[in-house]
Order: sequence, then C-alpha cells, then structure tokens
Amino acid sequence: MDRPLPMASESQYPNTGRGPVRGAPAPLPALAAVLIFSLGLWGGQQAAPPASDPKPEAKAADTGPATYVGSEMCQACHEDVFKSFLKNPHHVVETNKSKGWEGKACESCHGPGSKHAESTSADDILNPAKAPVAKAEEACLKCHLNRPSQVGRIQGGHGRQQVSCSACHSVHSTPPSARNLIPTEGRAGLRGSKLLRPKSPQAVNEKCATCHQATMAQFNKPHTHRLNNGAMSCVDCHNPHGGFLPRLQQTFAANEPGCLKCHTDKRGPFTFEHAPMRLESCQSCHEPHGSANPKMLTRQEVHLQCLECHSNLPARAGQQTPALGGVPPAFHDLRSPRIRNCTLCHIKIHGSYANRAFLR
Amino acid sequence: MRPLLVALLTVPLAFAAAEPEAKPAADAAQEAKAQAVSEAKPVTEAKPAAEEATPPTADAPEGWMSGTVEIGNRWIGVPKGNFAAYRSVVDLGEGPRLTGLDLTFQDPSKRLFERLDIRGNGWGGDPFTTARIDARKSTLYNLSVDYRKFNYFNFLPSFANPFRDVGVQLNQHSFDTNRRFTDVYLELLPSGRVIPYLQFTKDSGFGRGITTYVGGGNEYPVGTTFRDHTENYRGGVRFDFTKLHFTLEQGGTTFKDDQRVFTNDRNLGNRTGTLLGQQLFLTGLNQPYGIRGNSVYSRVLASASPVSWVNLTGSFLFAQPQTDSRYASIAGGNFASLSTLLLYVGDREALTAEAKQPRTSGMFTAEVKLAPRLRLLGSTMTDRLRTSGAGLFTEQFILGVGAGVRDFNIPLFGQLNRNYNRTQTEAILDLTRWMTLRGGYRFVSGSANYTGSPLQTGGIAGAFTGGELKQHLGLGGITIRPGQRLWFNTDVEGGSATGNYFRTSLYNYQRFRGRARYQVLTNLQLNALFTVLNNHNPTRDINYRFRSRENSLSLNWLPQGGKRVTLLAEYTRSTLKSDIFYRVPQDLSLERNLYRDDAHIGTAMVDLVLPGQGLFQPRLAFGGSYFKSGGSRPTDYYQPMLRVHAPVHRNVEWMAEWRYYGFNEAFYRYEAFRAHTVLAGVRIVQ
Repeated sequence: MDRPLPMASESQYPNTGRGPVRGAPAPLPALAAVLIFSLGLWGGQQAAPPASDPKPEAKAADTGPATYVGSEMCQACHEDVFKSFLKNPHHVVETNKSKGWEGKACESCHGPGSKHAESTSADDILNPAKAPVAKAEEACLKCHLNRPSQVGRIQGGHGRQQVSCSACHSVHSTPPSARNLIPTEGRAGLRGSKLLRPKSPQAVNEKCATCHQATMAQFNKPHTHRLNNGAMSCVDCHNPHGGFLPRLQQTFAANEPGCLKCHTDKRGPFTFEHAPMRLESCQSCHEPHGSANPKMLTRQEVHLQCLECHSNLPARAGQQTPALGGVPPAFHDLRSPRIRNCTLCHIKIHGSYANRAFLR
Repeated sequence: MRPLLVALLTVPLAFAAAEPEAKPAADAAQEAKAQAVSEAKPVTEAKPAAEEATPPTADAPEGWMSGTVEIGNRWIGVPKGNFAAYRSVVDLGEGPRLTGLDLTFQDPSKRLFERLDIRGNGWGGDPFTTARIDARKSTLYNLSVDYRKFNYFNFLPSFANPFRDVGVQLNQHSFDTNRRFTDVYLELLPSGRVIPYLQFTKDSGFGRGITTYVGGGNEYPVGTTFRDHTENYRGGVRFDFTKLHFTLEQGGTTFKDDQRVFTNDRNLGNRTGTLLGQQLFLTGLNQPYGIRGNSVYSRVLASASPVSWVNLTGSFLFAQPQTDSRYASIAGGNFASLSTLLLYVGDREALTAEAKQPRTSGMFTAEVKLAPRLRLLGSTMTDRLRTSGAGLFTEQFILGVGAGVRDFNIPLFGQLNRNYNRTQTEAILDLTRWMTLRGGYRFVSGSANYTGSPLQTGGIAGAFTGGELKQHLGLGGITIRPGQRLWFNTDVEGGSATGNYFRTSLYNYQRFRGRARYQVLTNLQLNALFTVLNNHNPTRDINYRFRSRENSLSLNWLPQGGKRVTLLAEYTRSTLKSDIFYRVPQDLSLERNLYRDDAHIGTAMVDLVLPGQGLFQPRLAFGGSYFKSGGSRPTDYYQPMLRVHAPVHRNVEWMAEWRYYGFNEAFYRYEAFRAHTVLAGVRIVQ
C-alpha cells in the first residue's frame, strides 16, 4: 500500500554504457559458459571500491557528467532527511572507509549530485523510490547484490515480478516515535511502513499485508497460525528475498522445509514416510494461512481428505498406477462413524517409526 | 481482581482533574511541519501522519532510552457455548499481563552496544508469548535473541467425529501442547569482508492429551504424554567482496522425542459389537516410545558479478538427518486378531528401527543484461532425497492362562526416493518507460518411488508404488505504470503435465494474478487483487477439477494526512470448488466428492485522534474482522474490537480494550462459542 508508485521520466533510462550483446546464445546452455567465462574475468577484477570514483567537488561543472559533491551539500537543502539519516543503519556508509563512500552516503544511492545541487531540479538526480524497478534495484544492489539474501532472488517471485527493494525497505526512515502509535493489530497504524527493516512480528505482517491483503485476510479464519496475535510473522515461514523452495518458503537445516523448524516432531526421518510430506509439502493437506476446517485441513471431513488420494485400484502388472497412494485401504466400512475419521486409528499420519499403516 | 479493575478504570478520572501541560513548542512545530508534509506528499508517502509528525531528528530532545511498556489486566466474560472450542480457537486467559514491551536503548559512548532493542508480547500467561533482543555494535557484532512460547489446545468434536448424524461424542484426540522456541544469532564484524556467524536454536515441546491405542481388533481412547526437544547448531563464514560473495556453513541438530501412551482402566473401546464372538476390552496399557536423532548439514552459497551485465548465484545444500527409535508395548485385556484368527489376553510388542534421509539440493541462477532494457533470467535447480528405514518388530500374543504364547518377528523396511528438477528461463523487457513485459518457460521433471513392508502385522507383502512428474509451463506477465497514481501488474502461468505424483496435484493448470493500485486522491488509495487457479487432471477414474478465486479490494483513507482519522477497509471474496471421484473402500464403487468454500472476509479499522490539548489527545481505534463462509462447512467468525488510549500524564496513558469473539457453524452447532474480553491498563511512553 505504501509502495512508492513508480514515476517515469527520461532521466531514468540513462545510458549505462553496457550496450546490447549481439548474437546472444540460447540462455540455458549459455549458463555454464557464462559461469566459466565470468569466473575467469573475475580473477583480475576483484573489488574495485567506489572510493576510486571522482573526488567530491564543491560545485559541479556546468557541462559534462555530474560529479560527486558530498553529503554536506545535500544537507544544505535536505536537512530533515539528513538528520533522520544519522540514526539509520545506512549511515555507516557515510563514515565507514571500507564501504568506499565515505562522506558521500547520499550519492551512493542517488548518484552524483552536482547538477541537481545547481539546478535543484528533481530531474537531475536519481530517486530510486520513484524510478523503474530495474533502475531502483541497481541502486540497492550496487552494495547488496553479493549477499546471502540475494542468492535466491531470481528464483523467488519478488525478484521476477519486479518488486523493488524500496517496496519493503524505507531507506531514510528511522522507527517512528512510539508515542504516536496505537498498538493494536489494526493495520491502520501501518507501523511497518516506515521502517528500514521491520523486526517486530506486527510490523513485518503489516508490511506484507500492504500487497498481500487477501492472504492476510485468511488469518481472520478460525483455524490459523497465530499471526494476528503478534506471535508470528510472515518471514517466519517465507523468505521474501527468495530461496530454492517454491512459494518463497523458508528452509530449516539447509534444505528442509521451514515448517519443520517449529514442527520438529514431524521431521523424521521415519521408517515409514507419508509420501506427500516429502514429495509435495504440508500444503497437500493443510492450509497454513487459515481455514474454516479444524487443523487447517483442506477438506471439511477427514475421510474425504484421505480418500481423494487413496482411491484408485492397484495397477495391473506392467502398468503404472495413475498416482502415488492410489492403492485403496483395506476394507473399511465408512458407514460406521468411527471409520470416517481416518486419523482416529492412523494416529501417526505424518510418518511412523513402527508401522507402515501409521497406526503406532 | 475486582479492586484492580476498579483501580484501572478510575485512574484516568483521577488524572483528568490535573491540568494538562502546555503544548511544547517543539511538538507544535513538528505538527505544523507534518501538516505541511502531508499536504505536499501523496498518500503513499504521507501516511501515517502520526509518524511524520514527530520525526526523530537530532534536534529533538531524546534520552538514552525510548519506547513503551504496556501492562494491564484482562477479564474474560464467561464464554457461552463450547468452552473447548473457545480454547481451541482463541484461548485467551484472565489475569495481569505485560501486553507489550518495546524499548530502545542507545549508548552514547557506544562501549558495549550502539543500539539495543528489547521487545516482548503476551507475558503473564497468554497462550503466545514472545521476547526479542537485538543488539548491535557496527564494528564488532550483531546479536539477536528470540524467544517464543506457544500453548496449543485442541479439542474439537467435529474433527474427531465428523459423522454429525450420530450426535456429539467425546473427542478421542485432544492435546494440550506447550512449545518453547529459543533462537540466538551472533554475527561478528571484525571486518567488512569476512563475517563469521554462529546460531543456536532450541525447540522443545511437551504436553499431554488423549489419543487412540489401536490393536486387538479395536481402538481405545487412552492417555498420552509427549516431550520432544531439538537443538540446532550452525556456524559459518561469509566472505563479502564487491564482485563475489560466498558463504560456507556447517550445522547439526540433535533430536529427542519421548512419548508414552497408557491406561489403567477397563476400556471397551469403540467397537460396539463383538469380533470373532468376543467382547473386546482393554484393562491396562503401557507403551513408551523413544526416538533419538541427529543430523549434519552443509550449505554453500555463492554469488558473483564478474562483469556489470552478468549476475550469477549458486548454492549447494546437503542434509542427512537420521533417527533411532525404540518402542515397547504391554497391553492386557481381551483381544482378537482378524489376520491370524487368534484370541488373546495380552499383547507385548517391541521395536528397534533406524532411518536415514540424505538430501542433496543445488541451484544455479544467472541474470544477463542483454541490453539496458532487456534482461534474461535463467535458473536451474535439483533436489534429491533418499529415505531408507529398517527395523525389527516383535510381537507376542499371550493366548491365556496355560495356553502359551505366539511370537511374531517382523522385519520392517521402508524406502522413499525422490528426484526433482526444475529449469526456467524468463526474459524481462522494459518495453516503454511505463510498461514492462515478462515471458518465459519452465520445465519441471521428477520421479518418486515408495517401497514399504509389511503392510500390517501379520505380514501382507510389501507394496511398491511410483510416479513420474513432467510439466511444461509457460510464464508471462506485464507491469503497467502510466503515472504515479496507477500501477497494474499481472502474472500468468499455465502448464500441462504428462504425469504427476498425486491425484490432486497440479496437472493441466492455469494461474492468473492481477494487482492494481490506484491513488484516487492525495489521501485516498485503492488496491485491488484478483487471482484464479484452474486445475484439471483428466486421468481416468480421477477427472479432478479444481478452481479457486480470490478477489480483494482495500481502501486506505487518511484525510489531512491522517492527522485526525485513519481508515483502512478491506474486503476479500474467495471461492473454492473441488470436484473429484473416489472409491468407497467397502465396495470400491465410485463416489464423487464436491468440496465448496465460498467465503467473505471483511476487515475495517478506524483510528481517531479525539480533541484535546497538546499531548493530551485521547485516541480511539475500533473495527474488527468478519469471516463468513458457505459451502461444505458453513462458518461464521467475527472479532470486533474497540481500544481507547487516554493520556493522563506526559509519559503515561490509560488504555482499555474490548474484544468479542463469536464463532458459529451451521452443521456443527455444538462447537459455537461467544466470548468477551476486556483489557485495561496503562501504557508508559518514554
């Protein structure tokens, strides 16, 4: 909701100097070649810090490319932003020599500001919050590209669907004064909207809800995880930067689904696994965002939940079954109510150490 | 409790007599500034005005500590209806609470830390309790400590006995579970390039409940206790360079799970008739279950930008958890075994088993900027899992006094293998300044097989089943932003499969998602969302059709930049339709399962700043959510609330909150409940 609306202008498409690559090969076979080629190139190009950029100058030349003028020049007009920025974690860019932008933190994201300082026109400076996503990303990834959080960026939906960094991270802001916040879970407070990195569960959830309002609405169902109570946040289960699992799922112990981080008793490995848990995910049977059905099940009655998979006749010799789990259970008389609740007997339905039918 | 309620409710009256302090000049200036800012900025930047009103500038007088502490007492009106269902869904309790804590400490000397944040929520007996500490010294360390406590209660008759025609029966599955979760993460920052880190996570659970003992031709509700404990250690080093990053990590877990199932009472079980001419019953049971496990795992992440137009990332992940299980059972009563046609009065079981699950995953992605406006994204990943378990199960039937015993030694074997591969290519083109197009292709393939034996005690031959996954998918999308006021994004995904693992898996499907944001006025913004998923599995005997839709509209209105009023309203309509054939186990006839869910979810929240002087402006928040669904399980659930904050001192606010929970089900009326909660207390602001 508070995602900055993109603003388009000619200045947002400057010539990057890269130029098109002619005769680009087919993408996937090229990946390996690109990797080898690039690793070779990398050897001789390691870490040229931006400190080698032009020295700050008090005033830009009238013609030619803009030059760096230093943060003090920015402060002259943007006093409020400058002072707010003093308490922002990004302020380390201003003071830490190793970052290579000492004294030029503003221009590390906004680009050289000499022309803007002279003209005071918004067209003469880059505003990542209003630039097209690709351009805005460049400003952030200049420093943050080679970080662990970005390893799954392309694989994840946010990166592919052009959700810019500033949609979730407010770079200048510091946490608002607690005095002015009504601490309800009512999202009218939009507490997370002005934070660089929201940490409290409520702030994270409010931030995610600005785009995923339908998903957040699911948590108003009776059987759900405890998000509305401030005990959990979206990022407990999802990694918004992406990962190798679908649906931006968090992982536990390297490559296991994040659900097992809390539900460790379901982790196993079991002598007899229930295949859906490993082949698809918990969502085969559960709706983790909320359900009208107890246990967040996807069906209203347990026997229907089970029989939708356990239904087909066994395959004949030499034939493949239409699906896993198709072999029907042994004779069960569903007219008896005690049989209709399968997990009454199959109590270890997530996997059993002792019994293939999950009875103990 | 009543005196406390009286005291808390009368606190504001006592303070109300005190004359409010004059409005500080700084506040007045900040308010004026906030108003100016809110008038100048669109709603996306202006909200909430309260935040803008007091930007924490360096000029503002601010101490080394800031934040809020909320303490209060909660009263629960006697819940009407099903108290067990109330506990299963809400479970808020009475008594004094630390409902919120949010403190920030800033050390001017920066000796131990630069900034320390402490947050807490729900202390004093609530079913969800959290605490978090974040400390940072930018040249030395980042430390975070996270603690959470969850109490789950579950006792829902409809789940245990869905056959509503026979009336309400006592639930045979209920659990009162306590979970504790602690996470400590330390990142050392001796240099900006090499960053070692350590993490320790402890997750434990314990509780008791009712479960079922299945054996001897019957099932019996019996007591159970359980306690599990997992510790996770990991450590690694990050190497951050301008054009290259890699992380090396090694971790391990230990796991312990002890369960016990028991009873000492005579129990007739669920079978109302006889089996093999015998009335079955259970007179005693002791069944301890112990599992010990551990795992090691490794993780390597890397990303590189060898040239400015190429970004590469890759990861290699490996985990190998394993478990050893021990199990014993002694049961007495009158039992019958259909598979062996034996009658017996005692049953002894013992098990020893172990299982391993090596899992290897890898991923590689590349982003190639072919032109300033054209990017090519490629990714490929693989995930391979092998689970193998083996054990020996020993069972002894005690046939009766002087009748001897029958022994069964049954080797157990289970194996589950899975290979999963996914390759994807996508091009992103900034066609114009205001339009971005995306298009691509994804190929998903995999195979899985499962072997397990025996099926039951008694030794039915093991079963083998397998499946193959093969899907071709097309991807597309468009983002349109014709101006600052309008943003529109769609994503389309469609695929066809020649095989999948399960009858209800995605087969031939189409997914569409559209999002739009329109800023009607400076202080009024609309968001709309539309998603639809169609899935069809045409395989004979399955013919599965699935369709889900979700439409959502939200409105955010902040007149005068939210200075006095903030309104958020959302409405979501979701429908789900599932249609599949299944075979009835007793006669293998085909039946059709139609599942419908037609839900309306509304949320509205209004924040009002009431007239007052300076800091002494009472605030009121009210609203709530409403959920109503029809279809296979018609349910209503509504949660209105009202909250008042009245400043009584510069640093103290009185607060009161009322909430109502109303839950009703059309088919399972006996699960309905209604409950009021009132919370009153003080909020200390620094």
